Amino acid sequence: MVFNSLTFLVFFVVLLVLHHLPFLSWRAKKVNLLIASYLFYAAWNPPFILLLWASTIVDWFIARGIYAARDKTRAVRRSWLVISVAVNIGFIGFFKYGAFLLENWQALMSAFGIVYVPPQWNIVLPVGISFYTFVTMSYTLDVYLGRAKPIPSFLNYALFVTFFPHLVAGPIVRPTQLVPQFDEPKQASRSQLLWGLGLMILGLFEKVVIADGGLSSAADTVFAAEKPVGFWDAWLGTLAFSGQIFCDFAGYSTIAVGAALCLGFGLPDNFRMPYAAIGFSDFWRRWHISLSTWLRDYLYIPLGGNRGTEVRTYVNLMLTMLLGGLWHGARWTFVVWGGLHGHYLAVERWIRDRTGIAGDPVHWFNRLTLVLVTYVLVNITWVFFRAHSFEGASRILAGMVGLAPDAEPVLPTIYMIKVAVLVTGIVATHWWMRDRELERVVSRAPWWITGLAAAAMLFAVIVTQGSGTAFIYFQF
Amino acid sequence: MGNSGHWTEDVTVREIPRTRLIAISWLVFALVLTGVVAWEWKMRSLGLVAGDLDDSKAQWAVERRKIAAGEFDDVVLVGSSRILFDTNLDVFQEVTGRRPIQLALAGTNPRPILTDFANDPAFKSLVIVDVTPDIYFGDWLGIPEFSGVIHYWRDQSPSERFGNEVGVVLSRRLAFLDGDYTLPKLIDQLDVPNRGDIVRPYLSVWKVWETNEDRQTFLWSGIEQNERLRQHARTVWGPFDGAPMDPKAIDRAIQESVEAVKKIRAHGGEVVFIRPPSAGLYYEHEQRAAPRRKTWDRLLRETGAFGIHFEDYPDMQGLDVPEWSHLSRESAKAFTRAYAGVLMKEVPRLRDPDPGKS
Repeated sequence: MVFNSLTFLVFFVVLLVLHHLPFLSWRAKKVNLLIASYLFYAAWNPPFILLLWASTIVDWFIARGIYAARDKTRAVRRSWLVISVAVNIGFIGFFKYGAFLLENWQALMSAFGIVYVPPQWNIVLPVGISFYTFVTMSYTLDVYLGRAKPIPSFLNYALFVTFFPHLVAGPIVRPTQLVPQFDEPKQASRSQLLWGLGLMILGLFEKVVIADGGLSSAADTVFAAEKPVGFWDAWLGTLAFSGQIFCDFAGYSTIAVGAALCLGFGLPDNFRMPYAAIGFSDFWRRWHISLSTWLRDYLYIPLGGNRGTEVRTYVNLMLTMLLGGLWHGARWTFVVWGGLHGHYLAVERWIRDRTGIAGDPVHWFNRLTLVLVTYVLVNITWVFFRAHSFEGASRILAGMVGLAPDAEPVLPTIYMIKVAVLVTGIVATHWWMRDRELERVVSRAPWWITGLAAAAMLFAVIVTQGSGTAFIYFQF
Repeated sequence: MGNSGHWTEDVTVREIPRTRLIAISWLVFALVLTGVVAWEWKMRSLGLVAGDLDDSKAQWAVERRKIAAGEFDDVVLVGSSRILFDTNLDVFQEVTGRRPIQLALAGTNPRPILTDFANDPAFKSLVIVDVTPDIYFGDWLGIPEFSGVIHYWRDQSPSERFGNEVGVVLSRRLAFLDGDYTLPKLIDQLDVPNRGDIVRPYLSVWKVWETNEDRQTFLWSGIEQNERLRQHARTVWGPFDGAPMDPKAIDRAIQESVEAVKKIRAHGGEVVFIRPPSAGLYYEHEQRAAPRRKTWDRLLRETGAFGIHFEDYPDMQGLDVPEWSHLSRESAKAFTRAYAGVLMKEVPRLRDPDPGKS
C-alpha cells in the first residue's frame, strides 16, 4: 500500500494502537510489526511476498555460514558471499532487467545480421525489490566485512529486512542502524509520536500537494511532447521534474521516518536539502543518502576507492555511478544519467586536486552562484532520468540550449506560473535550510508559527485529495 | 555490544525539537477542523453533495466484478457519458424488472469493452451499447483516467480495493471529496491569459456529473442551475467542430462491432445499440461529422442488431439537454422510461424471466 492512501491511514491507526497496548509483550509487538509489514507489502501483489521471504531467508543462512567460516580461508567465506550476491542480483536481474537484456541481445544479434526474436517478457516488477535486496545484501556484506555479527534472533532480523516504513523505497537501512533498536522494548514517547506525525504531514504535503498536485502536470506535458520543445517549455518542464522527483522521494522518506518514529524507532535521513549542494560530492551527500553511502561502502570502496592510482580512482568513480544509474531502471537513459553524475564528480575531483581548493567559498554570493550552477547541471541529468528514450531526451536538451526557436509552446501559462512559484520556493528553502536541521529550526521558531505551518500543510493535503498515486521510486 | 550482536553500533536516534508539541497539536487540530468545516460548507454552497461517490476505475471495477460473479440481472450498459447520465437505473428496473449493470464510462470509447465481452465465452447477457457518434466511430479510446479499465478490475490490488471502500464510506458523508473540486484542479481552472494556441486547463471538462450507488450517474445539478457552468460545458464541447470523421475509422468501428455482435450472439448473448439525444450546436456538428446514413444506419444493417435512435421515437424528443450533450435529471427518467419500454417490446429475452436457461 502507498503512504498517501486511505488504506494506509486505517492500517497505521490500527498498528499504532496495537503497538502501544500496555499488556502485550515486546516479542508479541515485534511479531505484530512483522505481520503488519508483510501485510503492507502483500497489499500490492500477494504472491510477490514469496520473493521477499526468499531474499530474507537466503541472507539469514548465508550470513551465518560466513560467520561460521570466519576462521577458514577467505575463499570459503567469499563463496558464501557469492551465493548471496548471485541470488539477490539474480532476482533483480530476472524481474527488473530481463526484458532489457533480451532487447539488447536482440540488438546485438541484429548488428551481426542475425535475426533473433526474443520471447514475450510479461514479467511484473515486484515493488521495492531493488531496495529490500540491497538491505539484505548489506547485512550479509557487513558480516562478511567483519562489521557485524549475525543477528541471533530471526525475528529481529526479519523485522529489520521487512520493517514497513523503509521496505519498498528506503531509506536503505543498515543492520547497525536499526537492528539494535529491536533489542529493547520500544514505544514512542508523546513527543516522538507528535513529532513523527508532524514529519508524516510534511512528507504527505511534499508528495500530494507539491509533487502530484503542483508539478507533475507540467513535467508530464513537456516530456510527453512528440514535437520540438522550445526554450522556456524545456527548462520549465525539467525544473518541474526536478521539484517533482525531490518532493516525491524526499516526501516518501520523510513519511517513512515519521511513521517509524511514531512507533518509537529511528530511521536515518535520506535527504538534506540537495538543491543547495555546492558541487557534486556535496550533492551526493544530500541526495538519496542511503543509496549513495551503500554504493560507497559496498561498491566504490571494495573496488579500491581512492586508494589506488589517480586513473583507477576515476574508473572506480565512473563504475560506481554507472551501476548506480542502472540500479534505477532497465534503460540506457538511466546509465547516461549515472554516467553524467560520474563525469561531474570526476571533473570536480580533478579541479579540486589541481587547484587545491577545499571547502566552500566564504562569501555568500559565491556560494549561491555555485549552488545555482550545480542545480542547473543536475537538471541536465534529470532530462535523461525522466525521458523514456534518447530521442525524447534530445528533444528536451535541444530546447534547453535554444535549438528549437520555432517550436510551438506546450505549457499553458497557469502551469508555467505554478512551476515558477513552486520550484523557486523549493530552491529558496533548500538554500535557507542548507546548513540547518529541521529539528533545530522548529525548536527556535515560535510554537504557533510551527502550528500554523503544519495546519496549512495538512489542510492542503486534505483538500488536494491525492488519488493515491504511487511514488516514483517504487518502480526502481 | 547488545543482544543484536553488532560490533559497530551506529544506531539511529532521532532528535526531537524542543518546543511545545502538545500546544502545536491542539492548534493544528483546531485550525484543520475549522478549515475542513469551512471548506465543506463552501463546497456544498457550490452545489456539491454528500453521497456523490466520484466515478473512477475502482467504482467501475466493483460493477464489473458483479458480472464476473454472475450477480446481476442479465443486462449490461456500455458506452460513453450519454448512456451513463441518461439512464436512470431505478426507472429501467421499474419498466423491465431488471437492474442493469452500469459500465459506461465518460469520455471513453465503448468498443474495447464490447470486444472484451465478445471474447469471453462465459458472457451470455444483453449488452446495451451507447453510440455517441464522434466517439463510437472514431479511433480515440478515451480519457486517460479510465485507460486500462478492462484489466484493472482483475489486477486491482487489495490495497486499492480496500482504499476505494473507505473512500466510498467517506464520500457518503462529505461533499468536498470530489475529484473535480480538488485544490490543484481549482488552481488549474483559474481564468488567466494564456500563451499561444495551447488548450488551457480552464477549457478542460469541469464537473459535469454526479455518481451515486451502483454508478447511477446524473448530469450534475450545477450544470442545470448555473448558466456560467452550462455555458462553459458547451464551450468545452466546441472542439467537436463537425469536421467529417475519417471514413476508414468508421469502417474499422463497424467491422469491429460486426465481429463483437457475432461472437456475443454465438455465446447466447445479445447486443442492442442506442443513440441518446443531443442538441444545439453539438447535434449540428454530429450531423456533419458522422451523418446517420454513413454511421448509425450502416452499423445496424451490418451487425443485424436492433437499435434505438432518439430521432425515431416521439417520446424521446423534445427532452431537456442543458449543455447539448446530456439530458437533465428529469429528462433522463423520461428517456429511460421510453427506451426501456421499446426494449421490452423489441427484445424478447427481456420478457423472459430466466433468459440464461431458455
